[in-house]
Amino acid sequence: MTWRAEIDEIHRRRALAEACGGPDAVAKHHAAGKLTVRERIDKLLDAGTFREVGKLAGRASYDKSGHLTAFEPAPYVMGLGKVDGRAVAVGGEDYTIRAGTGFGSDRRKGGQGGFIEDLAYEYRIPLVNLIDGTGGTVNTAKRKGYTTVPGYGLDGCERSTELLGIVPVVSAVMGTTAGGPSMRAILAHWSIMVKGTAQIFAAGPPVVERAFGDKLTKDALGGTKVAVDTAGTIDNVADDELDCLAQIRRFLSYMPANVWELTPRVATGDPAGRCEDALADIVPRGARQAYNMKKLAELVVDRDSLFEIQPTYGRAVITALARLDGYVVGIVANNPMFGGIVDYKAARKQGHFVELCDMFNVPLVFFVDVPGLMVGAQSEADAILREGVRARYIGFQVSVPVFTVIVRKCYGVAGGGTIDRSGLNFKIAWPSGNWGSLPVEGGVKAAYRREIESAENPQEREREIEAELKSLASPFRTAEAFAIEDLIDPRETRPYLAQFVEALQPRLKTQLGPKYKTGVRP
Amino acid sequence: MARIEVKSEITGTVWQVKASPGDKVEAGDTLVVIESMKMEIPVITEDAGVVKEILVKEKDPVAEGQVVAVLEE
Repeated sequence: MTWRAEIDEIHRRRALAEACGGPDAVAKHHAAGKLTVRERIDKLLDAGTFREVGKLAGRASYDKSGHLTAFEPAPYVMGLGKVDGRAVAVGGEDYTIRAGTGFGSDRRKGGQGGFIEDLAYEYRIPLVNLIDGTGGTVNTAKRKGYTTVPGYGLDGCERSTELLGIVPVVSAVMGTTAGGPSMRAILAHWSIMVKGTAQIFAAGPPVVERAFGDKLTKDALGGTKVAVDTAGTIDNVADDELDCLAQIRRFLSYMPANVWELTPRVATGDPAGRCEDALADIVPRGARQAYNMKKLAELVVDRDSLFEIQPTYGRAVITALARLDGYVVGIVANNPMFGGIVDYKAARKQGHFVELCDMFNVPLVFFVDVPGLMVGAQSEADAILREGVRARYIGFQVSVPVFTVIVRKCYGVAGGGTIDRSGLNFKIAWPSGNWGSLPVEGGVKAAYRREIESAENPQEREREIEAELKSLASPFRTAEAFAIEDLIDPRETRPYLAQFVEALQPRLKTQLGPKYKTGVRP
Repeated sequence: MARIEVKSEITGTVWQVKASPGDKVEAGDTLVVIESMKMEIPVITEDAGVVKEILVKEKDPVAEGQVVAVLEE
């Protein structure tokens, strides 16, 4: 006697699971421009590395003699795989089976509180959620015979929350999500959604219409324009599903496996000593003239290594993961192309990014050109002070080294938020740098009002005072006083930073592990 | 001939028009300068081509995402 019959049965059932919701459901899914969850996982992972767990889970029907007559796979596919040779836990709803809703097992395969979350947690490996489920259904009450409090039983998100302090968590919104799956998408270090085929909201158009009478399309309520560009609910946009999966791989390439490991260094083939001549002229002499800050950052970091986080939200600041001599760094750069003034969105984006980098021991480089926080009635109503001060507070709590490269303006509350006051307080400036509590132009009238008003020619006196103060604002004077640690040739920025980033690596090893922070954020 | 639309990424007012129809431009060239938040912000083409149309003039208000110039490849 052998077990070959049962073994054959295992393989037969695996083949049944491969069929997802059946050829018609799969064809419909494809026609909507979407890949099946199995295709997604296949394209996300290194070829041939997917080790599926729970492939036999599903709803089976048997005839009287115990033969399988029908099988509907569980609408969630998950398991272990590799990205760039490193282990990741991955899972996603199978939308082709009852729109990816739960299937009522005692232990969930995935979603909040599922096996795949436990795997990522227990093995300390990154988790990738490929979200394409519609979440709870009122039918559950019919099945159970009673209603449940939110977060009851298997649906809690305690584990999802714990994961955020331990391993990188990525969420990809690859369909229309509401309620629980939407929440699962937000509980991530980085999230992405697919343009056109993905929407995310707290509740969908039918609920909104019932509540407010508004008739909205799914895209108008929770498409990328709202969820990513306007609200910043989701971080990045993918043009299509393949782009989405490629971006997930890219994000993970900058991440350690968990908070006890350092980020991987990758040989980029870009010499640390490379000095770009263009940096000498990139900043215009006119203070009002904008320039391409993203290009500036790209000229400094390793070639093609800049990966923007939240590129379309809070655009007054650029936040990006990048490499310097192969080491991962976090870039925060004010963007004069969007005024460079920190509004509440830019502040929120900066704080979140700084916290992300700190969690995974990614040192930070600020390229500073910030006139200040956004002023005005609208900005005050948007809580610019709370958002701006919160960003600064988060900055003070980081344990990673922070470099400040003052490219041009560094003023006020926002300017102060770019400086590592709780660390080495290491600021290097370019000759185009200027700084203070507020720009001279706006400040002279307020500070010297009496003197100006009592002068014979007030306008001329104001100009004189302005000229006098401006002559003091030369960065050479601040460098002489060692009130800035260095004034550098902009072309040296890359080798200068690269050497320090290399030198600080042993220090990063001394601060590995979860980071518990005290205090109440403003 | 591919038609390329060049858009302003920011709301503001046209400060200067730098390019004219018929001009040959390279990727990275400034076509129009927008004044916004007291800054002069260039609208840069990401593609090379020949300027077919400039759709704004000085002092015109410009909205985020508005097409300000059309190029032909």
